[in-house]
Amino acid sequence: MTLYLPIAELSMNVFIVLGMGGLVGFLSGVVGVGGGFLMTPLLIFIGIPPAVAVATQSNQITAASVSGVVAHWRRGTVDVKMGVVLIVGGAMGSFMGATAFSYLRALGQVDLLISLAYVLFLGAIGGLMFWESVRAIVRAHRGYVPPRKPREDRHKAWIHALPFKMRFRKSKLFISALLPLAIGMFVGLLSAIMGVGGGFIMLPAMIYLLNMPTNVVIGTSLFQIIFVTALTTVFHSVNTQTVDIFLAMLLLPGAVIGAQLGARVGVRLKGEQLRAILAVLVLIVCVKVALGLVVQPDEVYSVADVDETGGQH
Amino acid sequence: MRIRLAVFLALFFGVLASPTHALVTDLSNRHIEIRYSFSGADLILFGAVGATPIGAPHDPYDVVIVVRGPELPTLVRRKERVGGVWINRHVARFPSAPGYYAVATNRPLNEIAAPTVFATYGIGYENLPLVAESPRGLVAPDPNFRKALYRLRSEEGLYRQGLDTVNLISEGLFRTDVHLPANVPIGEFQVDTFLFQQGSLKARNRINLTVGKEGFERTAYTFAHSYPFFYGITAVFVALCAGWLAGVIGRK
Repeated sequence: MTLYLPIAELSMNVFIVLGMGGLVGFLSGVVGVGGGFLMTPLLIFIGIPPAVAVATQSNQITAASVSGVVAHWRRGTVDVKMGVVLIVGGAMGSFMGATAFSYLRALGQVDLLISLAYVLFLGAIGGLMFWESVRAIVRAHRGYVPPRKPREDRHKAWIHALPFKMRFRKSKLFISALLPLAIGMFVGLLSAIMGVGGGFIMLPAMIYLLNMPTNVVIGTSLFQIIFVTALTTVFHSVNTQTVDIFLAMLLLPGAVIGAQLGARVGVRLKGEQLRAILAVLVLIVCVKVALGLVVQPDEVYSVADVDETGGQH
Repeated sequence: MRIRLAVFLALFFGVLASPTHALVTDLSNRHIEIRYSFSGADLILFGAVGATPIGAPHDPYDVVIVVRGPELPTLVRRKERVGGVWINRHVARFPSAPGYYAVATNRPLNEIAAPTVFATYGIGYENLPLVAESPRGLVAPDPNFRKALYRLRSEEGLYRQGLDTVNLISEGLFRTDVHLPANVPIGEFQVDTFLFQQGSLKARNRINLTVGKEGFERTAYTFAHSYPFFYGITAVFVALCAGWLAGVIGRK
């Protein structure tokens, strides 16, 4: 059964789209991240124009994050104040990202921007995570337990020297608002350019830079992602008209169901094993995108309607 | 007086140049609607020759049918290796290129008439008057870009030449299939039928075809392009509702 997607302007097999949603949902459920970084390249791979894939993913991630935040909200594991500061930064970052996106789209370089961003961030994050998780697995095998530093020591001195301090009760923190603002902005920028929620950057940043307690990290991150991806969706809709609601909603059921199933498998695995799986996934996607940039393409020409390149009427 | 003479001359030569054969064509469907399940459309074009004051065509004749879609500004880009990475480097901007172009014939074009004849009437992709924008104004495009446009659009099923056959049925009847792929652009299409006999044009005829997005798809597309801000807000609202619903159902 094929379905015509009005914004992507092509027909897609419904079951392929549903299945992709389920597969990515399952993998992201196992490792506990959003999965935007897997879905966007996969959408591009099956023929969705990169700009439509990125913008539509923002829309889909809003929905997926809402479904995830419900449980955290009930448990009270969302630091709303921290979330709001992150969102303010995220809004600025998302606006900058979407502006760069539509500017480069008009120049015909947006695909390059998306690919470069993927290679750079997935390569760095995947590499670090892989190294860290392999080290943890080897240590666990040998029975070595690293000495745990007290929380105060882990908090770097330069962070406390920053001005505009704010108290975040739920996170038990008294730190400068500039830090979450900057982190939010950076993640918002990536969200707009890569079609991701940015959990893979946000979670480590919250734990290692902000030093938030781990129980509020996921809830707050999801809370923040909802608003930032919602803004990104609006920015992309206004700038480039590349958000395909139909495609986003087709991806959602598979993603939600897959994530539930994946989470059940995930609880049976150890943390460092999960991180190793995630690292391998990230590196595979990174290599795939990098090859697309470096290997000589079969067809060096491409055609675009001027109408599609955004505002050049 | 001068104008009258001009009109007279025009009428006189018009009559002389007028077709020696009557040509009638019609399509199985003049209005195509792209709906949610649209996976392309195949139309039947049928036509009849004859019944003119001169009479039915006794000599063998040839039919060339050209279907041409909406003219759109089009960009063709070429990638080049820069610092080890393949990026779009060169661009040719065609202010107007057909979004769909198909030529169907009853036998290969080169057997029907001389290339100059087709060039006169602009039949065939190689005879399309394509121009590209440049700093010096409109110029003939780089042939590589022109060929690339044809190749890429052919791969998408949007340009078809030398693929479709016109079937000549007895008594001056003929038919052909018009294949519109799923990604066909919306707008007005012209279907031109040319009748050739012994290498020269004897009659021509034009009918129109409309391809439109209908129903929900049309609404969504128009909404997204005319009211992008409200479309974005709607997309977010739909996502919030769907996500909340999924979260509530997922917990049970």
